[in-house]
Amino acid sequence: MLTVGQKFPEFKKKAVVSIEKGKEFQDISSDDYKNEGKWLVMFWYPKDFTFVCPTEIAEFNKNYEEFRDRDAHLVAASTDSEFVHLAWRKHHDDLSALKFPMLADTSKSLAEELGILEKEEKIAYRATFIVDPHGIIRFVSVNDLSVGRNVKEVLRVLDALQTDELCPCNWQKGQETLKV
Amino acid sequence: MALQETKIDLLKDLKIEEVPEFISLDAMSIGETRYLKDLRINLKNTLASENLSAKEAYLLALAVAVNEKNRILIGSFTELAKENGATEAEIAETHACSSMLAVNNVFYRFRHFAKSETYNNMPAGIKMNVMMNPVLGKEFFELLSLAVSAVNGCETCVGSHESSLRKLGTSESRIFDSIRLASVVRGLSIAIY
Repeated sequence: MLTVGQKFPEFKKKAVVSIEKGKEFQDISSDDYKNEGKWLVMFWYPKDFTFVCPTEIAEFNKNYEEFRDRDAHLVAASTDSEFVHLAWRKHHDDLSALKFPMLADTSKSLAEELGILEKEEKIAYRATFIVDPHGIIRFVSVNDLSVGRNVKEVLRVLDALQTDELCPCNWQKGQETLKV
Repeated sequence: MALQETKIDLLKDLKIEEVPEFISLDAMSIGETRYLKDLRINLKNTLASENLSAKEAYLLALAVAVNEKNRILIGSFTELAKENGATEAEIAETHACSSMLAVNNVFYRFRHFAKSETYNNMPAGIKMNVMMNPVLGKEFFELLSLAVSAVNGCETCVGSHESSLRKLGTSESRIFDSIRLASVVRGLSIAIY
């Protein structure tokens, strides 16, 4: 499994971005967030149409604005196809108004590269990656299939990774001078 | 565009109706400074301190808003404090605390600046009975007093309220979080007025 300090793989995948007819799909790639100088928060889950997932995805959605304010692209991902994603979003009330894309890793190539495929079923573990604007993985967590995540914890980690206290008032003797 | 959304969300967080003109907030959102994001994150994070209950956090924010004479934020934090269980008596005492501290911060700062034993020995002649048996409880009243004093920059007051809180057993992280919140609300009052 890829870990902290490693480069997040390049990718270009289909994603569901809306349930509106004609606007359902979009290609998303690793360049999108890097070109904008943003962070990437990608969270994986095993399968569409299961029970723990919608709760967790809805919780991420509820906090979408928090990720936006932290300059982070939020992306949900599983190995289901974009058509299954779309059907699930249309089928489930909590998912109809999702504000972030659902990535379809149908070929499982990205999950494979990340090393988060469960051996038996070849579905993704509940892995969360925080990637900085340079494409470097700065945080990984992985839960077994049935264990949901705490979104607040992901935000806390993102806050901690992003620089704060840039004010020279905090300069202490012996420290390097401030470089931003 | 994103900054416009952040502005709208910030007002929503604070239950403030959008009025035609927030001079600074509008300038920041029209000119798209990313500071608005910092401000909203800082406010949410400091209000959500593990070392303060929601009611305490909103009352503390209210004390600073009163100190800043910021009508919009006073309205907002009063409503939010009440939603989290604050009584009329506690709201009243929060206002009283800020007013009392406005007196003390000037008075004790003068003594501190003047550095003269004469003034230190002259009786203050200022009633401070509100500090006797506060409905907010001694410890929380002290915490409000410390935060307001930090905002107003009275060294003597900060020193004495901090040490009395430590004697009451207040943790340094609770004190620190209160000051973080007070600082952010002071910044907020310069964005929304």
